[in-house]
Amino acid sequence: MTSIVHLALALKKFSPRYLQVATFAVLACVLAAAQSLPQVHLDASGLAPRPIEELTGTTIARHYALAWRDMAGALESGRSDVLSEEFTGIAKDRLVRRIGEQNQTGVHVRIVDHGHQVKAVFYSTDGSAMQLVDQAQLEIQIFDGNKLIDTQNAPQQYLVLMTPGADRWYVRDLEEVSAKTF
Amino acid sequence: MRRTAPINCTLRHCLAALALLSMLSGWAGADDLRVPATVQAGQSFSIPAEGSGQATFYLVGPDHVVKRSVTLGSAVAIQSSDVRAAGRYHAILCSSSCTSAAFLVEAAKPAHLSFFLHPSRVPVSTPQSIDATAFVFDQYFNLVLTPAVVDFRITPESGASFSRPSTARRGVTWMRLDSTPHEGRVQVTAVSDKTEEARVIQQVAAEACGLRMKAIPSGNAVTLETDPVRDCSGNALPDGTVVSFTKVDRQGKSTVDTPIKKGVARVEFSLHGPAQIGVACGVVLGNEVALNGKL
Repeated sequence: MTSIVHLALALKKFSPRYLQVATFAVLACVLAAAQSLPQVHLDASGLAPRPIEELTGTTIARHYALAWRDMAGALESGRSDVLSEEFTGIAKDRLVRRIGEQNQTGVHVRIVDHGHQVKAVFYSTDGSAMQLVDQAQLEIQIFDGNKLIDTQNAPQQYLVLMTPGADRWYVRDLEEVSAKTF
Repeated sequence: MRRTAPINCTLRHCLAALALLSMLSGWAGADDLRVPATVQAGQSFSIPAEGSGQATFYLVGPDHVVKRSVTLGSAVAIQSSDVRAAGRYHAILCSSSCTSAAFLVEAAKPAHLSFFLHPSRVPVSTPQSIDATAFVFDQYFNLVLTPAVVDFRITPESGASFSRPSTARRGVTWMRLDSTPHEGRVQVTAVSDKTEEARVIQQVAAEACGLRMKAIPSGNAVTLETDPVRDCSGNALPDGTVVSFTKVDRQGKSTVDTPIKKGVARVEFSLHGPAQIGVACGVVLGNEVALNGKL
């Protein structure tokens, strides 16, 4: 909560456009705190070819946080049924396949999520797709049964494609990429 | 000489530490895994597994998990089917303890385009009214992040074809273009490498232009008929487009909405004394006629 207050104070230094962008962050942080979601800070400044509406930004930040919560839960529990809420298309297919193979091999993954700095980089003019770059702070622990066999604790960068559904934005593609990519 | 002793002492400590590290690494059973930093999707390769004895190899990727027994001292073969999805993979080798390494799988060359053309119908001669967006994927539906040229080829029903090349950034590219002056279908084809996707939109007439009607009186009634209704580029407005006729006479104001049929709109009014009649189509007003012997 302290970081939210600091963020709000910092907003005074920025232009109204940045103020709008940062509002998404504040709302996302508040929602995250309220529901134990990973923290998602969405920066949509300079988005092209279409600017983002405030409500859309808030919704995307919330559903992206929900997606990470659901994915972490599914990878640890081996249950892929929860993925339909926030994932669709190739992202969902890949996760379902991975979880199926995790269950076959006895491997499971625990993600300790320390938050996401997300930058919106593309929003199509018809509003049908948004591309995000996520700088995620994650600790990924891989287990075989109860035995911890690997831990990764480096910042990771993801390229995300989200598309709107009837009442939410779905994660359609989620690819980890090299930091050198951009 | 005074300084030599501490240096020797430090060297001795360093050597001891190195020896200890060497022993510790020997206890690890398997040596560090050497993996390539990046691999192209669908490309097989092998990982040397140094040491001796049996071990368990794990590969954990975005859509695939492998666990198998391997013999140390030989290479672990990674099949092309193991690395189809782009993203980070964790290779882990466990014998008495585990060593790991991570590598990234990157998309192969473009093989699929996901292409959106918006809107499906557009008025003619409208600036920046057509949006085309293309996502570039490889054969495994990984987004191709290396810059790829996408050529948008535009073929109107009448008029010359033209193209607009564009370079995809982060796997996506888009463009906006003006609709051409003539109605009809316009095909836009996105082409990248050896893959292409075509979409069609319909260009329709814009707002009416120079709307005019004529009146044909007969007794206490009058028939009003427009000239063929066209836009400013000469395209006929489609049948079904509504034209409104408004009459004001002694009985007050009455409006009749009638669709264009065979290019013209026609309506019949009964008259009660002198009347003023106007015509409109959408936001466009046409001429007015005054009926009481003079037009």
